Amino acid sequence: MPDPLILIIDDEESMRDSCSQILLKGRYRVETASDGTAGLEKTRELRPDAVIVDLKMPGISGFEVIEELGRIDPRIMAIVVTGYATVESAVEAMKKGAYDFLPKPFTPEELRMILSRALEHRRVALEAETLRREKQLLEENFITMVSHQLRSPLVAIQQYFEVILSDLAGPVEDKPKDMIRRASERLTGLLHLINDWLDLSRIDQKGLIGKVKPLDLGRILRKLVDFMAPSARQSGITLEWPGDAAAVFEALGDEESLEQVFTNLLSNAVSYNKPGGRVEINLRREPGFIVCEVRDTGIGIAQDHLPFIFDQFYQVSRREGKRGKGSGLGLSIAKKIVEAHAGRIEVSSEPGVGSTFTVRIPASGRAGEGA
Amino acid sequence: MVIDDDPDFRAAVTAILASVPYDVVSADGLAEAKPKILAERPDLILLDIMMDGLFDGFSLCHSLKTAKEFEAVRSTPVIFISAVKELAGSRFGFKGEEQGMAGPDDYVDKPVAPADLLARIERLLKK
Repeated sequence: MPDPLILIIDDEESMRDSCSQILLKGRYRVETASDGTAGLEKTRELRPDAVIVDLKMPGISGFEVIEELGRIDPRIMAIVVTGYATVESAVEAMKKGAYDFLPKPFTPEELRMILSRALEHRRVALEAETLRREKQLLEENFITMVSHQLRSPLVAIQQYFEVILSDLAGPVEDKPKDMIRRASERLTGLLHLINDWLDLSRIDQKGLIGKVKPLDLGRILRKLVDFMAPSARQSGITLEWPGDAAAVFEALGDEESLEQVFTNLLSNAVSYNKPGGRVEINLRREPGFIVCEVRDTGIGIAQDHLPFIFDQFYQVSRREGKRGKGSGLGLSIAKKIVEAHAGRIEVSSEPGVGSTFTVRIPASGRAGEGA
Repeated sequence: MVIDDDPDFRAAVTAILASVPYDVVSADGLAEAKPKILAERPDLILLDIMMDGLFDGFSLCHSLKTAKEFEAVRSTPVIFISAVKELAGSRFGFKGEEQGMAGPDDYVDKPVAPADLLARIERLLKK
C-alpha cells in the first residue's frame, strides 16, 4: 500500500506550505492546489485519500468543493479548515459531506490527529465495501459452486465407467459390463437430477434467466420437434409438426427457458405414451396470449394425481410402484418458467386415453392485436 | 496435456488418450500447469474451467492466447472441459468473449464420451 495521498486546497500559500510541512513529516504524500477549480481537477486526476479544504476562497467556495468531492468519489475524506469558524458554517460543511472541521489556528498535532482519524474511518469503510462485494459474489456463485462440488465426484466415477465400457482398460466380460452399464445409467440419472435442481434454484433465485424479448414460438417448437422426432420414432411414437411452417406465433419470452419448458413437455408426452402412440402439437392465438397444446395418446393421469403433478419430486409412476426415469422436477421447472413469463400452464387428462398440457405465454404487442 | 484438479478424472481421461495412442502429461492446477506448458510444449491442451473453487480455466486460456509469456505456445489448441454446462459454453455459447476474454478452440461437457473427445482432438490436431 502506498502512503495516503492528501490534497490541500487553500488560497493562502503560507497555509499550503505549513500544512505540507506538517504532513510530510508523517507517512503521507502531499499535493496542493490554490483554488477550488484546480483542486477539483487534481481530485479527479489523482483520487486522493483525503482533501483538506479552506472554506473561504476566491472563486468557488469550500462548500461547493465539498459537494463536488462527494460526487467525484464519496469515499474521499473531506476535512474543512477555516479562520472564520462558526457553529453554523461547521454544521453546513458537515451537511454537505465533510468528515471533520478544524478551526484556524490549529497545532500540527491537531491536524495530524484529525487526519489520521479520517483515514482510519476511510480504511474501515473501504474494507466493509470489499467484504460486501465478496459476499455478494459468493451468493451469486453459490449455486454454481454447490453444483460443481456435487457433480465432480460423480463425473469422475462416470468417466471411469466410460473408459471401462469402451474397453480402454482391457477386455471386460459381458456380465460385469452389463452391470457397469446399468450403474452408469443410474449415475446419468443422478447427474440430470442435479442439473434440474440447479435450474430450479436459478429460477427461484433470479426470476427469469436472460431477457424477455419477442420470439416465434412456432420456430422453437419446429426446432424441438425436428430434434426429438427421431428418438421418439425409435420408441414407436409419432411426433410431428402438423402446423403451417410459415405461420409466426410471436410471444414475449426467454428462448432458452421456453425451450426447456417444451423439451420437458414433449419428452414426457413421448415417455408416457403407448407403443404406436402420437404426440400432437397445436399452436393458436388468444387475446394477449399464444397458446400451445401438447396432446399425447398415452397412459393418462388419474384425477386424484392431477392436482399434484406440478409439485417438486411428485411422480405418478413412482406412486404406482413403477420406476420413473425422470427426476420428478421436469413439470415443476416448466411451471416455474411459464409463471415467470406471466403465463399459465394447465393439464387435463383421461386415464388410458391421454393427457393435454396447455401453455399460455403472453403474446408480443403485434401478435396480440392480431388475435 | 490434461489440466484438471481431480486426479481421478485425469486418470480416466489419460486412459482414453493413451489408447490412441497419444503421449499424455497432466497438471493438477494452474500453478503446476503454467511452467509445465512451457516445458512440455504440448500439441493440445484439455483444460478444466473450475479448479479449487475458482474459475481458473478462463484466465489460463486467456493468458495462453494473449500473454507474452506464452508466445511460444500461442497456436496450441485449447479444449475446455467442464462439469457445469453453462460454464463451458456448450449450452449458452462461450460468454467470456463478450467481456474480452479469449475463448477456447472447442468445449466438451464432463463426463466426456471417449469417441466424441477423440474425434474433436483429431480435428484440432489436423488444422
